[in-house]
Amino acid sequence: MSFCVRFSSAAGVAQRSHRKRMNQKELRELIEFLIEKDIAEFELERGDVKVRIKRGGEHVFHAHAEPRFFSVPAAPPTHEVGTAPVLAPPTAPAAPAAEPVPEDGLHMVKSPIVGTFYEAPSPGAPPFVKVGDTVEVGQVLCIVEAMKLLNEIESDVAGEIVKKLAANSQPIEYGQELFAIRPRK
Amino acid sequence: MCRLATSRELESHSSKLIARSPWLFLMFSKILIANRGEIALRVICACKELGIRTVAIYSEADRNSLHVRFADDAICIGPPQLAQSYLNIPAVISAAEIANVDAVHPGYGLLAENANFAEVCETSSIKFIGPHPEVIRLMGEKERARAAMKQAGVPILPGSDGIVASEAEALEWARQVGFPVMLKASAGGGGRGMRIVRNEDELPGLFKSAQAEAAGAFGNGDLYMEKYVEHPRHIEFQVLGDEHGQVVSLGERECSIQRRHQKLLEESPSPQVTPELRDQIGAVLCKALAAVGYTNAGTVEFVMDRDRRLHFIEMNTRIQVEHPVTEMVTDVDLVKSQIMIAAGARMSEVLMGPVVHRGHAMECRINAEHPEKFTPSAGKITAFHPAGGTGVRVDTAAYAEGVIPPYYDSLIAKLIVRAKDRNEAVSRMARALEMFIVEGVYTTIPLHQKILADPDFRAGNFDTGFIERYLAKNGKERV
Repeated sequence: MSFCVRFSSAAGVAQRSHRKRMNQKELRELIEFLIEKDIAEFELERGDVKVRIKRGGEHVFHAHAEPRFFSVPAAPPTHEVGTAPVLAPPTAPAAPAAEPVPEDGLHMVKSPIVGTFYEAPSPGAPPFVKVGDTVEVGQVLCIVEAMKLLNEIESDVAGEIVKKLAANSQPIEYGQELFAIRPRK
Repeated sequence: MCRLATSRELESHSSKLIARSPWLFLMFSKILIANRGEIALRVICACKELGIRTVAIYSEADRNSLHVRFADDAICIGPPQLAQSYLNIPAVISAAEIANVDAVHPGYGLLAENANFAEVCETSSIKFIGPHPEVIRLMGEKERARAAMKQAGVPILPGSDGIVASEAEALEWARQVGFPVMLKASAGGGGRGMRIVRNEDELPGLFKSAQAEAAGAFGNGDLYMEKYVEHPRHIEFQVLGDEHGQVVSLGERECSIQRRHQKLLEESPSPQVTPELRDQIGAVLCKALAAVGYTNAGTVEFVMDRDRRLHFIEMNTRIQVEHPVTEMVTDVDLVKSQIMIAAGARMSEVLMGPVVHRGHAMECRINAEHPEKFTPSAGKITAFHPAGGTGVRVDTAAYAEGVIPPYYDSLIAKLIVRAKDRNEAVSRMARALEMFIVEGVYTTIPLHQKILADPDFRAGNFDTGFIERYLAKNGKERV
């Protein structure tokens, strides 16, 4: 028996610790109640706090291969509590974990920081660039958000966007490839 | 010595905990390890045994490291240089946020005693596995720590009452305390900003150079003064404090075998510490540290003078390199204890009963250095066969075909032995060193073998000057 618990709050990260303390006791009681009544799934919305508890039946085992990366659902910041071997189903396509094969002549734009990739300046706005666009040196290609700061990533070459290698809201590590550009001669 | 109640057995599966035990704390489900090398691997071991998911961070130079391989997830955070990777607080915190971890374990060195980092963790709602930022700060300013311990009744060396602002003040204090004296940097350690002053004539010049060195190394040239103990022994006490006000002492480690203030060999118990002294210092430390609100793991450093009296020097607010020595004689997993304490466990849930010392343990820090010249030896390890057998423990992130990068410290492995008494520990360590194979890089194994063979060392007869004297005597000898 395992649990997957998710808290979501529109109020954001800053209030997380207070909310966490308040809900630990309630959460405990809730889980005891679930076990007692043999409930498989439970959802509760109260004010701006939403709790969804799902009892998983299976354990997902992960073979230890090369270092993997996982994707986070494109939702407001969530806090995962409990053992939860069941991974959250990604709502954005997963990033390739292995190193992509570099193609001849293509310039790879890599992230200079760790953070979260955003393709547009704000939610709902059109993306900065798309595949097929021509870009200039210094043109903003995307945002990588780190610690609540939105960092604009600029192109270091002029040319055509051939590939977009990261998905919106995807966690990005240092050096991760974001775009492939065919440089203009 | 502080007394403990008997405790329940801790079950690693936290949902079972929630369902059954009434005194609970909600164990972390995911931890990011803000470190590299053997200590990162050590933390991963503790997390695996507690059922906690691990997230490793790594620089581009550490892509093929063992800590990266054994963590559940790994995030590259920067290029090889420390300042842009492991010491880059925004990069580390950003990784912790995108991995959605509950807590961060800082290991030792790097950001472990960085109060700013601990504070940023707190603000980002990530639990820092260590003391609170204000306590880290208090103990990090050596002179303030001294004053706090003195007030709590912990014996300290005679010395200045605070920072020594000028050469004139230094002279006054030195006359009061009596030469020889030691000038020390308040903002840091590791031997930098430290000068031994043996007479009045030497004082002005040494005062200036100590200030300059301290300012350069720590950004702060403040100095304080202590009586200098000739031929001191370095004795340190391991402590644990929970977040409910209880502090426990786990006994001492003898760390006098040092070269340029870097420890080479540690052991427990110290041949010079009696059970009465251990209990007495333990008791006063528990009280003093509880009074300053100390939590999590820590090590209190003392010098022992020739009359076997202990004097407080400084405190390290983190897990230490040589922590396995204490683990081997007390059967307490210190890293697991750190994690449990940070999750809110009470001392009675962390320690299963009173701390009992059994047997003797010793550790050799095997560095990738030339055993005589001490020049660092980075490169590829072509053969690696660690010692094994009865009573041997090896903490290492090295492996055959692995590469030692040149950017970080040179520790390859910690070889720890445990035996029923000191004599057996010495012969076991000598045996283990002989059977430890590392090829492709130089190591300090030959030096350790010679230390173990030395009659003074075997007799327990040494102080912090041992290595310097030994090397001077035997410098020309071929390895």
